[in-house]
Amino acid sequence: MTDAIITFRSVSKHFGQLKVLDEVDLDIHKGEVVVLIGPSGSGKSTLLRCINGLEQITGGDLVVNGMSVLGGNKVLREIRQEAGMVFQQFNLFPQMTALQNVAFGPQQVRGMSARQARELARELLAKVGLADKADHEPAELSGGQQQRVAIARALAIKPKVMLFDEPTSALDPELKQEVLNVMRALAAEGMTMVVVTHEMCFAKQVGTRLIFMEHGKIAVDGRPGDVIDTPPNDRMKDFLQHV
Amino acid sequence: MEVNWLIIWDFIPQLLKGAQVTVHITVVGLLGGVILGAIAGLMRAYGNSVINAIAFVYIEVIRGTPIVVQVMFLYFALPVLASIRIDPMTTAVLAIVINAGAYIAEIVRGAVLSISKGLSEAGLAIGLPRWKVIRYIVGPLAFRRLIPPLGNQFIVSLKDTSLFIVIGVGELTRTGQEIMAANFRAVEIWTAVAVMYLIMTGVLSLMLRMIEKRMRIL
Repeated sequence: MTDAIITFRSVSKHFGQLKVLDEVDLDIHKGEVVVLIGPSGSGKSTLLRCINGLEQITGGDLVVNGMSVLGGNKVLREIRQEAGMVFQQFNLFPQMTALQNVAFGPQQVRGMSARQARELARELLAKVGLADKADHEPAELSGGQQQRVAIARALAIKPKVMLFDEPTSALDPELKQEVLNVMRALAAEGMTMVVVTHEMCFAKQVGTRLIFMEHGKIAVDGRPGDVIDTPPNDRMKDFLQHV
Repeated sequence: MEVNWLIIWDFIPQLLKGAQVTVHITVVGLLGGVILGAIAGLMRAYGNSVINAIAFVYIEVIRGTPIVVQVMFLYFALPVLASIRIDPMTTAVLAIVINAGAYIAEIVRGAVLSISKGLSEAGLAIGLPRWKVIRYIVGPLAFRRLIPPLGNQFIVSLKDTSLFIVIGVGELTRTGQEIMAANFRAVEIWTAVAVMYLIMTGVLSLMLRMIEKRMRIL
């Protein structure tokens, strides 16, 4: 296919001697919801973080929306504006209110006026169901609410792809759903998403593609329904029994 | 000789003049020290290996040698080495800048590194350049954590100015010494000198506590 928005070409990543990604080839297309799973240390988070250059690849090439992550700082910043990221630990800016957190990016990066940015932020907070929390500081919000603000913050720079790095792993079970629901709605709008998660229900219901990683390689790549019900590989079967 | 506290009154104007010199050296010296320390601290926190090494050597040399030796070096060794002759007052200010700068650099580095890496990443991930991440996200958070140890360093530096007695700067301690040499009123004069230092450090502490109170540590 030609409409790949993210292309890995034998991408490797080393931390010193340790090889975390081993010549990964992968095309992600517009509108796909790719769910990445795998045991810890398999390289799934690293693979995600290479896409927006938070980790530097040490071999091969990685092209996002037509730009290579090897293109230098300026190109990297442009890539980051096309690939929003949501972190496991939310990482909201604690000195800013929810609204300021969301408005900060568009104002600083997209050059919006303060008023426009605030309007956009209000819209996005309403979208994630937090219109009434706009003036609260992160410390006053629950984990699930913080993560929804973080999603709004990532959306505010109008990315073409959303990267989720274990977005619900730090949340209590009853708070996971509110975040997953927002992600579900996002997928329904056709957003391209790459999601590292352990939520197999979400993978099955929302994912259009499931990738099982092992030892820095893609071990399984298929339709979530198929590969979860009948894992094509023993280690994946074993892994799924423990999730 | 009987202790006569009233005698202090006669020397108050002279001691105040000394205290004024102490405040002057402290304020100008710390202004420079904060700037130098911020630069060296950021070099340590964000610089590549060369920049980091330069800051590291500076900090270690200053932290590893007594301030009196540093003052002596500036005042007596520098003219021999580089034929740069500086007057006592400038030497004093410079010594505080260089000395406080090294300690403040470590304070700045510690504060910056104490801010979770995830916050920097969150800033970078929305496409901010590194300097904006430092300016708008890490900086304001680190600043709050900087205040308590910085206040400590300010007080240490203020008291360090008493060492400039060795190069003849007429600061508070030197002034006290001169008065004492003339009238041998050791108890009264040194008590007065101590109280003046306490007032200066007390005011400094109070100011810092007010700033701390107004800023929540996040």
